[in-house]
Amino acid sequence: MSIKVGIDFGTSNSGVAVYDGQYVKLLPVDPKNVLPEVIKTVLYITRDYRTSIGQEAVENYYRDNVNRHRHYVKQWAGEIDVYGADMHYVRDVFVYVDELKPGRLLQYLKTALRKESYTGTQVFERYFTVGDLAKTYLSLLKQRAEDILREPIHSVTLGRPVKFSESPEQDRKAQEILRQAAHEAGFHEVDFELEPIAAALDYEQSIPKPQNVVIFDFGGGTLDIAVMRLGDPRKREVYASGGVDIAGSDFDRTIIEKRMLPHFGLGQVKHHPEILEMIQAIPDWMALPELGTPINKNILEKAIQAGTAPIQVRSLQGLIYNDLAFTFYNRVEAGKIALSKDGATIVSLEDKDIALWELYTRHQFETDIQHYLVDVEKVLLDTIAKSGLDPAEIDAVVKTGGSSNIPLFTEMLGRIFGTEKVRESNSFTSVVAGLAIKAYTVG
Amino acid sequence: MSSFSHKIDEWMKEAEARPASAITIVKLIARRLRELTERNEELLSENIALQNGTRVEEYQKRISHLEYQLDLLKRRFGADESLLAELPVNPAETSSLSLLAYNIYGRILRIEVEADARSLGRIADETLATGEQPRLLAIPSNEEVLLLFTSGRVSTCAVADIATMEVGSAWSWEQAALPDEPRAGEMLACIAPLTHLPLSEFFLQVSRRGCVKKTMTSMAQSILGNHYLGKSTLQKSDQPFDVTLCQKKDLFAVVTIEGHLLGLDVDALPYSAEERIRLTATDYVIGSFVPRSDQSMLFVTQTGKVIQRDSANLELSKSGLAKGQALIPPARLGQGVRFIGAASVQEQDRIVALDATGSLNVHLAEALTGAGSIEAGGLILSIGVIPAEVQR
Repeated sequence: MSIKVGIDFGTSNSGVAVYDGQYVKLLPVDPKNVLPEVIKTVLYITRDYRTSIGQEAVENYYRDNVNRHRHYVKQWAGEIDVYGADMHYVRDVFVYVDELKPGRLLQYLKTALRKESYTGTQVFERYFTVGDLAKTYLSLLKQRAEDILREPIHSVTLGRPVKFSESPEQDRKAQEILRQAAHEAGFHEVDFELEPIAAALDYEQSIPKPQNVVIFDFGGGTLDIAVMRLGDPRKREVYASGGVDIAGSDFDRTIIEKRMLPHFGLGQVKHHPEILEMIQAIPDWMALPELGTPINKNILEKAIQAGTAPIQVRSLQGLIYNDLAFTFYNRVEAGKIALSKDGATIVSLEDKDIALWELYTRHQFETDIQHYLVDVEKVLLDTIAKSGLDPAEIDAVVKTGGSSNIPLFTEMLGRIFGTEKVRESNSFTSVVAGLAIKAYTVG
Repeated sequence: MSSFSHKIDEWMKEAEARPASAITIVKLIARRLRELTERNEELLSENIALQNGTRVEEYQKRISHLEYQLDLLKRRFGADESLLAELPVNPAETSSLSLLAYNIYGRILRIEVEADARSLGRIADETLATGEQPRLLAIPSNEEVLLLFTSGRVSTCAVADIATMEVGSAWSWEQAALPDEPRAGEMLACIAPLTHLPLSEFFLQVSRRGCVKKTMTSMAQSILGNHYLGKSTLQKSDQPFDVTLCQKKDLFAVVTIEGHLLGLDVDALPYSAEERIRLTATDYVIGSFVPRSDQSMLFVTQTGKVIQRDSANLELSKSGLAKGQALIPPARLGQGVRFIGAASVQEQDRIVALDATGSLNVHLAEALTGAGSIEAGGLILSIGVIPAEVQR
């Protein structure tokens, strides 16, 4: 006997749920997390290819990496043919590789599916395609779910955004990569459901009569909107759907770019293009560890000795060489989340060589992300227009996803539809609950 | 400065838009102000220490301490300064291993242990089973040891300076070396390896009645120069039991004869003697060690029964005075079962056991934990550990 589950493979967080026809059971797949039903979409792969996901991956990463020793060795990477007017020569290319690097932490696995230019990554001696990464994550998640249910799982309904990509070809390709990854992870039957529609299925259980509903699914990677008729499962109808690649990770990046970079020398370091390049790389935490080469260390040391913004450059050095990028990103994200509730918060990072402290207010945050609000509002109104309904004809707006809690967007929804129509749902679990219901009805 | 003014303007705008935020902002700034004030005070006191020379004195002391440690290393390797650069990479490999069996009267029997030795010989002494039991210490022959006496006096001695006994024969205490004869009213409490002194942060002492005290090794020069470490006791009837070198981040395990195991966090231990284990009138400490995460804890009863526990099972004492984990069930305790030794071991370590007939036999730790007991000619009196890395 095999069971069918719903899996929300989210950009920041994932989850697994099962439905028995009466109740949705969210599986505690990450017992180490504050919310065990929510598991971070992070994958840690060690040098000997041991893998872990969720909070365990984060803990393993911290244990192995923070303030560790490094030892760079020069490795031959290939050769370049150089052609001139009357000559041709071959030049060897070398890279510096940290031979003590114990493992790699990979985040935003779902975002990787959307990028046409990103096909995979080298993890020590082995190349992992995007599909390999998704497969590894899904198989570990499946294993955890099976351990909880004590039953094999062969079928899954996976959530997917309305658009993985603006390009239909890339959108189709991303779904096929995810389908193949799920098959390779051990799921014999795989089907998909749009995430906003899945979120609506959860909401549908709570309404007594049919309604026109807007699902505003604003998570870590994308904004997905669906305008639907809900209330009678037999007459369920999707009037329109839309979406845009704006979400939580973009807000984090904006906070770093606008507020954090001066702490690492932006505005004070001039005429040092190499250092400026390192500073500009800070918002991309996955690229940051790659900057920790001996050449860069030498450049930073020289700048410190020459008195070029020494405190800020020392902080930059600490951020790169003490592997604090992940911690730093988490602090920024935590600050952003706090601003959904409070008017002000502190983003701080205290470590060897770093003493970052920034008081950040909601007003500053809203100013910083104002341009996103314009884009989000436009996509929302376009989708409503596509549905043929007027905002006044909408009975309810269901918010889901972590970013939907940002007051600026809640206010926008209230302004367009009326505050009484805006409904809260469980930001992190409504999609997976809907996927479980879908899995049950299909299965 | 202008960017900071701009930030303040932005904070003000938040306070104007949402007056409730003003309280949050003031609280956050006040907290930061307190942190910065504390940091400023630290920097000011550091500045004073630099100006009045206190810091210089401290560094001079530290330099002297390092010089002393260098001296110790030179003595260990038997090299002068000009030869230090030519020292072999791992000179310990060329060194033999010695087992020291010592009694409270300061007598030390040194036996050189071969890698495959099973039986080392016999201590022929009639008082063996009745008097204070001898203790065992396995140590490389080129190292130095610290002798701690019950008066708190200490002295050092090179293992190589202690005469060796012939393996396989019967020895008496009269034949044993007496490198430092106990003075009137004092006895030899323990012998501890001193080689890791340069790499350790504390001397950690424990007394028979469960008092513990740590002393910074940066004071080693003064301690060894003055030949006094202290007793680490609170009551007159109490006596020092052991001294161990350890690091701040280490854990420390104390084991009693009635089967109680107490875990202590070295960092949280006091610099003055403090009673940390609640003992009954008949109970006292018979073992102490620094458990390592890759090792397990081994406990031996007088009848040779071996109990093994994973180091992760060591529960840290949260209160100032604790009973510890009871490892001997009350029924067995009533039948007279008692611990005579405990140690932190790896599977490949070897255990030397001294039994009531005086025989010293060597066993592989893995075999002991597998069998669950030590085969011996009589009651077990004492155990010692030969670490696998030292054997190699």
